[in-house]
Amino acid sequence: MTGIKLSGVTASFGGERVLGPLSLDIKPGERIALVGKSGAGKSTLIRMLYQQANSQASLIPQDLGLVHALPVFHNVYMARLDQHPNWYNIVTLMRPFERERADIEPLLDQLGILGKVRATVSSLSGGQRQRVAIARAIYRDATMLLADEPVSALDGPMAHVVMSLLNEAYETTVIALHDVELALRYCQRIVGIQDGQIALDEASSRLSETDILPLY
Amino acid sequence: MFSYPTVRTTFLFVAIAIIALAFSDIAITSINPWRDLGRFFLGVVTPDFFSTEGLATAILRTVAFAFTGVALGSMCGFLLALMYRWRIVRLFSAFIRAIHELFWALIFLQFFGFHPLTGVLAIAIPYSGIFAKVYSEILDEADPEPRTLLPTGTSAISMFLYARVPDVWDRIRTYTSYRLECGMRSSAILGFVGLPTIGFYLESSFSQGQYSEAGALLILFYVLIATIPWWVKPKLLPIYVVGAPFFLGEGLPIVWGNVARFFTEDIVPSPIRNNEGLGEFGAWLGDLMLTEAIPGIWNTVVLTQIALVFTGLLALLAFPLISTHFGGPVRRTSGHIFLVIARSTPEYILAYILLQLWGPSMLPAVVALALHNGGIIGHLIGRQSNNIKLRADAARGLNRYSYELVPRVYSSFLAFLFYRWEIIMRETAILGILGVATLGFYIDSAIQNIQFDRAMVLILITAMLNIGIDGLSRFIRRRLALQTMPTC
Amino acid sequence: MFSRLIRHTALSLLLALISIVPAYAETFVFTAIPDEDETKLVERFRGIADYLSKQLDVEVRYIPVKSYAAAISAFRNNQVQLAWFGGLSGVQARALVEDSEALAQGVEDQEFFNYFIAHKSTGLERSDTLPEEVRGKTFTFGSKGSTSGRLIPEYHIRKIFGEAPEEVFTRVGFSGNHTRTLRLVEAGTYEVGALNYKVWEKELEDGNIDTDSVKIIWKTPAYPNYQWSIRGDVNERFGDGFKERVKQALLALDDPKLLESFPRSGFVPASNDDYEPIEEVAKQLGIID
Repeated sequence: MTGIKLSGVTASFGGERVLGPLSLDIKPGERIALVGKSGAGKSTLIRMLYQQANSQASLIPQDLGLVHALPVFHNVYMARLDQHPNWYNIVTLMRPFERERADIEPLLDQLGILGKVRATVSSLSGGQRQRVAIARAIYRDATMLLADEPVSALDGPMAHVVMSLLNEAYETTVIALHDVELALRYCQRIVGIQDGQIALDEASSRLSETDILPLY
Repeated sequence: MFSYPTVRTTFLFVAIAIIALAFSDIAITSINPWRDLGRFFLGVVTPDFFSTEGLATAILRTVAFAFTGVALGSMCGFLLALMYRWRIVRLFSAFIRAIHELFWALIFLQFFGFHPLTGVLAIAIPYSGIFAKVYSEILDEADPEPRTLLPTGTSAISMFLYARVPDVWDRIRTYTSYRLECGMRSSAILGFVGLPTIGFYLESSFSQGQYSEAGALLILFYVLIATIPWWVKPKLLPIYVVGAPFFLGEGLPIVWGNVARFFTEDIVPSPIRNNEGLGEFGAWLGDLMLTEAIPGIWNTVVLTQIALVFTGLLALLAFPLISTHFGGPVRRTSGHIFLVIARSTPEYILAYILLQLWGPSMLPAVVALALHNGGIIGHLIGRQSNNIKLRADAARGLNRYSYELVPRVYSSFLAFLFYRWEIIMRETAILGILGVATLGFYIDSAIQNIQFDRAMVLILITAMLNIGIDGLSRFIRRRLALQTMPTC
Repeated sequence: MFSRLIRHTALSLLLALISIVPAYAETFVFTAIPDEDETKLVERFRGIADYLSKQLDVEVRYIPVKSYAAAISAFRNNQVQLAWFGGLSGVQARALVEDSEALAQGVEDQEFFNYFIAHKSTGLERSDTLPEEVRGKTFTFGSKGSTSGRLIPEYHIRKIFGEAPEEVFTRVGFSGNHTRTLRLVEAGTYEVGALNYKVWEKELEDGNIDTDSVKIIWKTPAYPNYQWSIRGDVNERFGDGFKERVKQALLALDDPKLLESFPRSGFVPASNDDYEPIEEVAKQLGIID
């Protein structure tokens, strides 16, 4: 198991630099929260980390990347398409096998959307969709989780459930959060982004909410 | 006003049409055009549904050919769409869709004869080309995000089936069922060259002046098309598709030797077939170009340009008929009925009827093309105009039409019109079979004289002309930044 | 929803296969050029089919076609084995099928002729040749591939005026068949037309012509026309002597109702050589190579 090391990376959009140059070293087992104003470059950084991780990471993008026409079950199942032959995937499209149902349904139950297992994503609310993306990320079974505002549409108790589930599933996590309280509680290391640069990089045990607020 | 590129383009095309009119042959040559027209309308209002035993069979065959042809076409088109990024596939698709269903039918008739395969392929082949293009455009619009999230190592097939197709499945389905309606029209006109669909009986009734029988056939055809949403249900579709081939009729057995003969002898230019040398071939080709191809191309282009402008004119005049911004429910309902009839009647049938009534000239063709295509575009922009929210104190009547609505729908109007430019040209060529001297006239003559080599060259020329116009139309639409959805 | 795609694909494949499998039965099939109203043709040739079926003891089927070329192609492609052709279509068809031959022709077909007819508004009267006054009028042929509707009229127009029909007349059309030519000239859609005299006489007899609106202006010289042509390979398929039996059956046809429907007074033997004059004319006009 390896971490990710970015050094001196930059990103531009429409000729304007939005990120970097910055360097970031993520070691296996670290739980990192990315905090900062929207537009600061958190999402771009997550994207770059995902490219760097090259399929070793499970990603929850901000826009979720769900296939709206497929049922919840299949959106979650998609995380492991590479582990089955084509015929198995095709049959699953028509009728899921018992084995995967036994894996996926309890997960959906924990996230409170088991009743929607056969519903298409297009029929779900924003919060329900977010939980489908989370279930998919957990089911993915990668070495690292990259998540961009994974609980933005969830209410308090559910946000805590999700954060614990994610921590349970992955040892190494990089999560962009605008909720400072969640960041301090579920992550060990806080990386603050401001205008595309790292403005803060500190263990969460040494920080309080007021230390982070100037970033916003 | 001339500073708008759309307005400049409009005036350019109107000017071209006016020049074309000067060279065109527009006349009513029959002495009593209105008497026959009156008899025809009398026939339509006194339909005779029991005159021929063939009526029910004709409907059944029309539906069967449409389903089988469109199903086969959508399948092949889908496969082609998967390979659409290859230039050769794009060219191939453009080529097969540039040749009209009736020309395909005329070709297949020469070696498959009256076997159902002739009708099925005549629909399936050009439709494959159209499906390939539209499906590939639709597939390209699938949200790319889910694909980036799949684990590496996911096979291309699984990725395609999970992350690409489902996202656009609805659009594919909508488009395919829309095409089925088009297929019904194509199927109907195949009867005019001898396949056992509605056109076969329509032609017979018309040429014998049995207008009540013709009226019954037309009414049944409109009912068939208008009720598609009720009898074509997604759940029933597999049953229709599987069942349809059994209702194509028997036809006559295929003699496979004819197929080989057609490709190795019939369509080989006669000087080459008879080993008369390249010089003779040059003379043969020169003669063909001079006496048939060039006059045919000229007439086709002249007629197309006139029909295009009249189509536009009619669409602009017709869309208020169904617009909620004008008139009451009675007016709108009758507007809807008029537009439904105009757009569900194939140009070919309209032109055939008008030619019978007014005598041969370009006029029946222009009116037929304008009615059908104007009906389609009028319907589309009329529906679009209903989405426009006017402020409460907006002008009324003519001012509302010219200041509030037309400027807002004009871009999409032009987009639809230019999209249909190529379709109008394809139809113009085919109307030649009815006697207007476009390319189709010379193609039909060559076939009637059993000179398939000449027919083939002329069909290829027609296809090239269509591909050229299609390219030009796309260029103009891009220049004017016009976007549209496919129509048929 | 989406699983339907997969099922749909499989089924479509299946149906494509089904439709390729040809329906095959040893039926003797014949056709006829569509030179007249279709209902008349169907009525007439269904009678012939029944008659031949009885005489020959095989299943006989008539299929209607929409054009002369379709009749020729069906004959050439061995989808029909026997056909009632016009002079020109017979020559064209037999040139394409080795060993095919003209079997029998109507008594009247030995000396067939055409009428040129005109609408009353032209003021033209019957004369011994095509009058100069037809110049500048509108004119309709019958079908493009017809002998009496196209070949012979065109031949005479070129001979009399020394010009192509398009130059003599202001507008030249192809009505499709003889009945249609009659109707179009009668209605005045075209001022002048040329048609098969048999169709004229039969329609006249049935009281279907408004003689106040349309009249004959010229009768052409005689030429050989309609005939039954048969493929050379029918004996291999239907047994030795089959061709001869078809011929005898046609010659023996004496049912007045059937003969009346053609209308012919009877059938007499014919040979390919009888149609040389037609071939000559067609070559001159460049209709055949």
